[in-house]
Amino acid sequence: MSATGPGQGVPGACEQCLRRSWLLGELSASLDYRCNDRDRLIALLTLGDEELIQAVAGRRKGEMKARYALFDPQQLRWAGDVEAVCRHDRRFPRSLAGPGSPPMLNVAGGLERLAGLTAAPVVAIVGSRRATDYGIEMAKCLARGLAACGVTVTSGVTDGIAVAAHAGALEASGRTVSVISGGLDVARPAGRRSLCERLSRSGCAVAELPSGCPTRRWAQAASERTVAGLAGLTVVVEADEGPGELACAKMARALGRQVAAVPGRVTSPSSRGTHALLMGGAHLIRGPQDALELLYGMDAPRPSPQRQSRPELEPGLKATLEQVGAGRDTPEKLTRAGADAWEVLVSLSELELMGLLARGDGGRYVPRDPLARGGSSTG
Amino acid sequence: MLARAHTFTIEGLQTRHVRVELDIRPGLPGFAIVGLADAAVREARERVRAAILNSGYEFPARRITANLAPGDVPKAGPGLDLALACAVLAASGQLPRERLESHALFGELALDGEVRACQGTLAVAQATQEAGLGTLVLAGACAREAKLVDGIDVAVAERLASAVRVLGGGRGDPLPERRPQEASPNGSTGRGLAGSAPDLGDVRGQHHAVRALVIAAAGGHNSLLSGPPGTGKTMLAQRLGSILPPLSRPEAIEVTRIQSITGGLAGELATRRPFRAPHHSITTAGLVGGARRGWVGEVVLAHHGVLFLDELSEFARPTLEALRQPLEDGLVAIVRARHSAIYPARFMLIAATNPCPCGWAGAADRCRCSETDLARYRRRMSGPLLDRIDLLTHLELDAMHDLKLAPLATSKAARERVTDARERQAARLRDDSVTVNAHMDTRTLKRHVTLEDKGEEMLRKARERGMLSARGQHRVLRVARTVADLNGSARVRARDVGAALALRPEAALAGSRVA
Repeated sequence: MSATGPGQGVPGACEQCLRRSWLLGELSASLDYRCNDRDRLIALLTLGDEELIQAVAGRRKGEMKARYALFDPQQLRWAGDVEAVCRHDRRFPRSLAGPGSPPMLNVAGGLERLAGLTAAPVVAIVGSRRATDYGIEMAKCLARGLAACGVTVTSGVTDGIAVAAHAGALEASGRTVSVISGGLDVARPAGRRSLCERLSRSGCAVAELPSGCPTRRWAQAASERTVAGLAGLTVVVEADEGPGELACAKMARALGRQVAAVPGRVTSPSSRGTHALLMGGAHLIRGPQDALELLYGMDAPRPSPQRQSRPELEPGLKATLEQVGAGRDTPEKLTRAGADAWEVLVSLSELELMGLLARGDGGRYVPRDPLARGGSSTG
Repeated sequence: MLARAHTFTIEGLQTRHVRVELDIRPGLPGFAIVGLADAAVREARERVRAAILNSGYEFPARRITANLAPGDVPKAGPGLDLALACAVLAASGQLPRERLESHALFGELALDGEVRACQGTLAVAQATQEAGLGTLVLAGACAREAKLVDGIDVAVAERLASAVRVLGGGRGDPLPERRPQEASPNGSTGRGLAGSAPDLGDVRGQHHAVRALVIAAAGGHNSLLSGPPGTGKTMLAQRLGSILPPLSRPEAIEVTRIQSITGGLAGELATRRPFRAPHHSITTAGLVGGARRGWVGEVVLAHHGVLFLDELSEFARPTLEALRQPLEDGLVAIVRARHSAIYPARFMLIAATNPCPCGWAGAADRCRCSETDLARYRRRMSGPLLDRIDLLTHLELDAMHDLKLAPLATSKAARERVTDARERQAARLRDDSVTVNAHMDTRTLKRHVTLEDKGEEMLRKARERGMLSARGQHRVLRVARTVADLNGSARVRARDVGAALALRPEAALAGSRVA
């Protein structure tokens, strides 16, 4: 194995795995034609290098084979602090050892840090890109609670649930692994610049494709298998029924990992997928505690101990909070349910200041935590 | 023979005193007007000649030269006809010259000698008084308007002959009967305002929005209504005028003056506040003025009233940016290559918009906008303009379903509360240069708004949570002051701050939901 990489620390990837990464980058455009059928795409990605060229490269087969033979790892472009790690290195996440997982990752944030992050329990928080306020707040709440207990949160950096999960983990100063579908230096969406910046301070970003490679549709689908592979538990917060929205759960199941889902309203199309998962035997998640119990069993650590010691709410505020949780989520609806108009505004503000409510779209308020549960499960 | 007469020309909202010097001497018959006259003034030659002849006077068949002094001010409009005609008559000895020196004349002439009313009568009457001229001679149709100004005599001249009689020491014509009030004399544009005024009692449901509208009216706060299509944003905004307190007399004079110059004949003192609702295709020049010399924009026409921007996100961004200065300073300074002017523009802004491109943001099953769509849409409106908006009201669809719901308040009841609150503000702010809470600057704000400990605590928490910027805090305090005024409270209590916080525009429309 020849040493390659950016030249800092111990190089973590062998030439064969670097070659694979380079090949995927080269075949990226061709693979895009095959991403409509996800199963076939995943099957393609498990092929060996020669077979992959044979299957995908089309008329460029001969040319690709020649270039493949001539590959020199020194040609690879390394952006910034990106390092590579492959399955032959001890720092490679153990959870990705199975077949079908990417053999090699480009990592921003340091290999040792990645090893530390993946040694802790990892939970993937995934879901729809067109999430509702409820989904966003639930994703944030789960990530907050899990991160506060030292769980590593992983997800993509796509819109909706994924990015909310990262933001929630940050709120609890937690650490995340962001799975990026293109090259680490190009694929971060411009609108997420500040989020990615904050994530990189304590967490890691990983990508299968080499630096300089733009993101593509197939790569988005392929990155979901990395997310599912990294995590011991995959929580789907909100998803419609489409194959794309549930792909991650499907892959996690195929890998034999635990799959869980957060229920929503039965009238909301954004929760159809999660309800289907629940019907199919996925675990029910009502809050971070449920996820922790899945990970650790009954002696799970309690999330966010400071919330436990929160003084009891005044009855008026508590009633308002419950009403909002029950769907009377605007001042108009609350007032029509019989409350005094000024009191409603004041208690909504107070609850927002306490961090129990957040503002959603269209003037709606969204609870930031699920209501405290009584009964057996809280113990 | 030389004769002098006094008249006025209007430029923008300014009146300029014009001295007509008219000289008749032997020579080839002709009538020349010098002194930067525009087309309307040059055409006056034909009108003056015909009016004089048709009124039974003699038009001298000699060389007539009229000079309009000062020579560097452009003269515009037909209002100079009457002065020119009287100067011709005086110079030709058909009229005593001395009295012409102490009268101001303003009116357009018809070919048969009738005197017609011109735009800007009120401004001319004010200028007459300032110029120290005792009497203003003008057409009957605009005499009531001129009489609003104290300190001058108004002589009605329906015909050129009457003007000659007045200048000869006789009496003017009687004031014409008051015409039946024509619809919407107050320069209102837009829908639903002609005829009977819309009433707040027409609004069913949407109590939250109505309450917010009353707060906005009470404190003069700029506000933004956001909601899906068909929830009544426009309907509410149009009813804002009906709950605003009536104009005070100085305000009414200012408004009438602007309307009389720009909108033709006001006839009467304006009673209702102007309500301007320009279409979103409006240009920057249309909104703030400056398209050509003397042209005033919608913000000036909305002075002391309401500027309603429906579909805010459809307005061109530079057009909205131009609103910054008037919103901040209450005036607009127009500087162009050939002219510059400062106009008053103290108005209350009310804007309406959909929350997202499809209009259904927040309604989970209906909004199909992606995060990118939302971000792009919000970016179009965000920034400096939203920064000057004090109140954000969300209207929601399901509140509308029950059209049998009782209205929250009629305009009359709401207006009484608003007027009460405004009186309280005026009493408190009497030593400051402002009259409503929305216009308090930071120093005034500090002096008049002291919070209880609990209120301070709330603001501190909001700051710590990143819910409020520094400017946002001031906005919340202004609104809280208004809420306290509406509730008749001398102090700003914590609950007033709470209500103001719930109505703050921060975060709800700016930026992404997540990061």
